[in-house]
Amino acid sequence: MDVSQYLNVFMGECQEHLQTLNQSLLALEQEPNNMDILNSIFRAAHTLKGASATMGFNKMSNVTHALEDVLSLLRQNELQVSAELVNVLFEALDLLEVLAQGIAEGREEDVEIAGVIQSLQKFSSKNQDQEGKAEPGPQKERRKNLQLRYLPAEIEQIKKAVEEGLTLNHLHVYLQEECLLKGARAFMILRELEAHGEIVRTIPTSKELEDEHFENDFIIGILSKKPLDFLVRFLEKMLDVAKVEGEILNPETLLVERRGVETKTSPDQDHQKTSLVKAPSNVSPTVRVDIRKLDDLMNLVGELVITRSRLEQLSSEKKDQVLAETVEQLSRLTMDLRDQVLKTRMVPVDHVFSRFPRLVRDLAKETGKEVQLHISGAETELDRTVIDEIADPLVHIIRNSVDHGIEKPDERKAAGKPVPGIIELNAYQAGNNVIIEVTDDGAGLNLEKIKAKALERGIVTNEVLENMAEEEVMNLIFLPGFSTSQQVTDISGRGVGMDVVKTKITNLGGIVQLHSQEGEGTKITIRLPLTLAIIQTLIVQLGNDVFAIPSTLIDQTISVDKKDIKLLRNREVTFHRGEVLPLVRLQEFLEVAEAKNSMLDELDVVVVSNGERRVGFVVDTLLRQQDVVIKSLGTYLGNIPGIAGATILGNGKIALILDLRSVA
Amino acid sequence: MKEKKEKQEETTQIIVFKLGEEEFGVNILQVREIEKLDQGITRVPRAPHFVEGIINLRGEIIPIVDLRARFGLTLPELGYNSRVIIVEVGEALVGMLVDAVEEVLRVPVSAIEPAPAITKGVDSYFLSGVAKLEDRLIVLLNLERTLSPEEEKELSEAELG
Repeated sequence: MDVSQYLNVFMGECQEHLQTLNQSLLALEQEPNNMDILNSIFRAAHTLKGASATMGFNKMSNVTHALEDVLSLLRQNELQVSAELVNVLFEALDLLEVLAQGIAEGREEDVEIAGVIQSLQKFSSKNQDQEGKAEPGPQKERRKNLQLRYLPAEIEQIKKAVEEGLTLNHLHVYLQEECLLKGARAFMILRELEAHGEIVRTIPTSKELEDEHFENDFIIGILSKKPLDFLVRFLEKMLDVAKVEGEILNPETLLVERRGVETKTSPDQDHQKTSLVKAPSNVSPTVRVDIRKLDDLMNLVGELVITRSRLEQLSSEKKDQVLAETVEQLSRLTMDLRDQVLKTRMVPVDHVFSRFPRLVRDLAKETGKEVQLHISGAETELDRTVIDEIADPLVHIIRNSVDHGIEKPDERKAAGKPVPGIIELNAYQAGNNVIIEVTDDGAGLNLEKIKAKALERGIVTNEVLENMAEEEVMNLIFLPGFSTSQQVTDISGRGVGMDVVKTKITNLGGIVQLHSQEGEGTKITIRLPLTLAIIQTLIVQLGNDVFAIPSTLIDQTISVDKKDIKLLRNREVTFHRGEVLPLVRLQEFLEVAEAKNSMLDELDVVVVSNGERRVGFVVDTLLRQQDVVIKSLGTYLGNIPGIAGATILGNGKIALILDLRSVA
Repeated sequence: MKEKKEKQEETTQIIVFKLGEEEFGVNILQVREIEKLDQGITRVPRAPHFVEGIINLRGEIIPIVDLRARFGLTLPELGYNSRVIIVEVGEALVGMLVDAVEEVLRVPVSAIEPAPAITKGVDSYFLSGVAKLEDRLIVLLNLERTLSPEEEKELSEAELG
């Protein structure tokens, strides 16, 4: 079977299931007795097993199979969660990730799986030996557990129906082992059966059946006028049905479902409860879309936005009332369309955050530290492209926090701090930006160490250092070739430093800020634009050209009287809000000749902040605020410092988008 | 008939354009389109000196290279006949500013010879050959080299070589 066309879908699902497994395992480590968690792990492993077997990825299906065996023993309470077991489960999960990677690269065969399967089997077989009973294998056990229970209201309804001459039948349907698309098959069976009576309830629920969250069998409770015989034969004739067991029930003896009641009496009941009470997931139906299609859509909307501006300009020249109204309406529609497209591209940062608990857990174990990770705002949304890009920088920052930030337990005790170090990962939206903060309560940055290192590496000279403010010293760690760690560890010493973090964030149009107090901890703040494709800018004029300055960078715009400009060390400055504000003439920054601002008495100044310093850029005129679509200058012109790209304005003219952070 | 067929097999099509009074050619397969210069060129600060700026070609941003600046030729300013030849170089579209576009010409492959070290003031580094026809000499450009954005390094290497 040619599976290549399904590979993308499979890989996508695979990632999701692996993520679920990862999260759930972490949760299970905290709450070993929580059946809900165990069930979700089991479901993910089970689905993965089925999918990989269908696709013919035997190694992955073997691993998931072994994993499933262990999990089902856990579910039946025949095995207890232990630290050792969790480690083995994590190992299996890591192996699955490697396998997934291998599949993506077409070299699944090279991955060694025997070791992990052995460790898994040690758990599943050890248990069976101890129990000594060969008969109730996992499959049998589960089947026996399938029992239909009803809500009291349903029982009333059944009693009434029985009085009216209907019978309540329980039909236990077994699908053939090799049945593909079990979910669809089960759905068909239910639909066909509806012609012959009223289905009161199924176990598993119809939703679970459709989603293939079941083994090979299920029970249908149906009120029907037809004899039991007929129903059984009707079902047996259907495709993929192996066998059907039917029985007629007396409404007086029905089992009652106790919704949401926590019972720990017997493992059996507990088990039953969780599979029944599983909250009806009201997840709306979704469609998987290739990100490139969304990119194309975004580009088209971008073109539309540009054409709209053009039309607006034409209409304002024509002064035709009807035309103006139509354009106005088109304008609104375009903006709505743009917002919707932007929304489709938004993904919760949880996408990235969800891998950090595992990361922190592993790092903490490796370094012998106690670390708690507190995550908040994981639901905050960001453009998909931004999400993909921030993962690496965040991993690096968190590694740093665990490795260099949080102290060893004895050091923390000595410093009078609580032994477990805390790393807070917080995301929230502020206007057109998303802020991500990573805060730790560790040792903080040691200024003297940074200074020594910077000198040693020849990044700065002694004289420069002496004149530096504390904050400037801290920011030295963002320079290329800097690493404060005394020893290169497995964790942070991988040849990438904070400079890579900064470059990456800067390329995304974002800003990194650093606050640290020695002995109290470090806080790194990342400010990112919501989306990369369309940005809000301030359009300014210089000479005969117009330029767009991204609003993200702009602190404010001010007007400065020529008299208030002073010279300080041969550079123009002014005093603003009690601070010295360096001024840069935009024409000098851009190395262009023509500009009128040198002849003006009242200067328009755009104050730009890069998170560290503020600089005022002198322009000729401030024109307007405008949303623009960023277009790259292309590979040919590549990276020109100070220019982030270009955009096409309403009149068809091009405006360059300036990136003023390098000077600021 | 037979003769004509033979001819076709041995020819290549070039677009002939002028820089000043001299004739240059590029392989037609590399040319996307030819545009009149009816919109202004937006200058890009800090770009290489031979990049005149960028234009908006139906929503795409296209860099414009001034070939005269590229070859270090001193020639009169742009005029009425000036055109932009949009060519494909690798993945990128680049516009070449020329003084006039003359014709599409079928040239026998046998008429193309390697370029001498300097032809009409242009270094052979930028050339793929010269087409010698009865009464004309057309200089054929090596677009990959002509339009490479890394000017200084390669240029000096070329001079050394």
